[in-house]
Amino acid sequence: MRTERLSYDDGSDTAVCEYCGRPFPDDDLLALHRGTRHFEQLPDDQQAAYEAAYADEQESVRLFRLKALGGLILVYFGFLMVYAVV
Amino acid sequence: MAASCRWSRCTRRRVISLVAGVAAVGVLAVPALAHGGSLGSAGRESVAVPTWLVLLTGGAAVGASFLLASLVTDRSLIAAVESWSRGLIDSGAVLRWGARVVSLLGLVVLAVVLFVASMGPQQPLANLGLLTVWVGWWAGYTMSTYLVGNTWPALNPWRTLSRVLPSLSYSYPERLGVWPATVALLALVWVEVVSPVADQPDFLAGVIIVYTAVTLLGTLVFGTQQWFDSADPVARVFDHYGRVAPFGRDRDTISLQTPGSALADIAPATRSEVAFVIALLWVTTFDGFVSTPAWRSIVDVVPVPLSALYPLALVAGFGLFLAAFYGAARASKRITGTCVTTASLVREFAPSLLAIAAGYHLAHYLGYFISLLPALATVATAPLAPPAEVTLLVAPDWFETVGMLAILVGHFLAIWVAHATAFDIFPGRLQAIRSQYPFIAVMVFYTMTSLWILAQPEVAAP
Repeated sequence: MRTERLSYDDGSDTAVCEYCGRPFPDDDLLALHRGTRHFEQLPDDQQAAYEAAYADEQESVRLFRLKALGGLILVYFGFLMVYAVV
Repeated sequence: MAASCRWSRCTRRRVISLVAGVAAVGVLAVPALAHGGSLGSAGRESVAVPTWLVLLTGGAAVGASFLLASLVTDRSLIAAVESWSRGLIDSGAVLRWGARVVSLLGLVVLAVVLFVASMGPQQPLANLGLLTVWVGWWAGYTMSTYLVGNTWPALNPWRTLSRVLPSLSYSYPERLGVWPATVALLALVWVEVVSPVADQPDFLAGVIIVYTAVTLLGTLVFGTQQWFDSADPVARVFDHYGRVAPFGRDRDTISLQTPGSALADIAPATRSEVAFVIALLWVTTFDGFVSTPAWRSIVDVVPVPLSALYPLALVAGFGLFLAAFYGAARASKRITGTCVTTASLVREFAPSLLAIAAGYHLAHYLGYFISLLPALATVATAPLAPPAEVTLLVAPDWFETVGMLAILVGHFLAIWVAHATAFDIFPGRLQAIRSQYPFIAVMVFYTMTSLWILAQPEVAAP
């Protein structure tokens, strides 16, 4: 789909996917990309790298979700109070 | 949410200008609004919620829906929602015959519009040609393209005509992209705002004849497909709105699909394509902006002749919207650290704005459409000798909320489409969410701008 028509910065060769040639800013993102796009083709060590990167990210995703929920609650009650006053 | 107005500026501007010059009977849905035939005064009700709070709520609603969307981080779920579709009609024969009937209808309507607009009664509310173009087509039909699906390729009478005409098939200069359509869209809106095309039937007929001549000449030189794909603004607008719709056509199949999912296929999404999307978003805003008091004070202060100020403001606002979106894409690239170019990010995320543009259109035209639909129906029964009095519907008080809701629903859809796009492009889940921060900021800016315009009191455009 979209990924096939993307263009990339010149000289971005920090971490390049050996299966499709897409460049990534670091190895973690490359590992996540390999796992989401080419999981079946991956050798064991790359599958393990994907799973490790995914688990690493899971922690921050969970934290973000908490913050997002907190933000939603804040917005909801904030507006409830503003509408009560106005 | 309530604001100080009932419909958008352009809406009421046109209703008022249409009402002037013909006896109209207001059918008042709400007795409290009984102001006789004067629709303008009915628009200024007392303000239940201050404007700043309406704007803040709209902005917060966009932000909150982004937070909600960001809770969905399951790639397979996002991809499944985006690619969901169900085939409904799968018969080439049915579609071809349907298209033929619709094409014939398009030709008949064009002929009737041209004839009645030039030969019929010249009072705006009594002229079937004028009502068909503005109420039936630009308000009503356009709504059908994003609420149902794009039928313009079949209905488009100019396409039907161009098919029977010969074509020289010159190759279309690729580097022009859809710039001709973008410039033509801005030009059409300029004509619509400054000329009497919205309330003078014979002038409208003249504009249609010029458009017909240009379009047929274009298809003659470059071929039907090339012309309607790249240079014709009307076909582009309906194609883009059609991608927001729940029904889509792929060769011989009509399917029900996730609204907005076809936006991903605007390909090849070139730089000019992005400009067209932003232009479409901006022109609906501009149409409302020119009859706000703010525009009036700008006109009073800026020492530039009015004839130059309109195109200047049209282009400047377009530039501002475009710059805001490019700025967001650059910020998104910085935040995510991605190797994908800014140009690519702009191209991939711009189509989501079409859902917002559709929401604006609905907010601007639904009230106008409903109020004038009875007039259209009445005049259609006797196009050359319409009754002296036509019925107008006056929308009830709560109707303004529908417009605001349309704007917000458009944004929700746009946020979801952008969310799905981000998860398709970026391998990291947090990276995908963070990529949206600047785009959400820009969307909040667009929303608050259009809500502000909706909430402004009506003044006649200078």
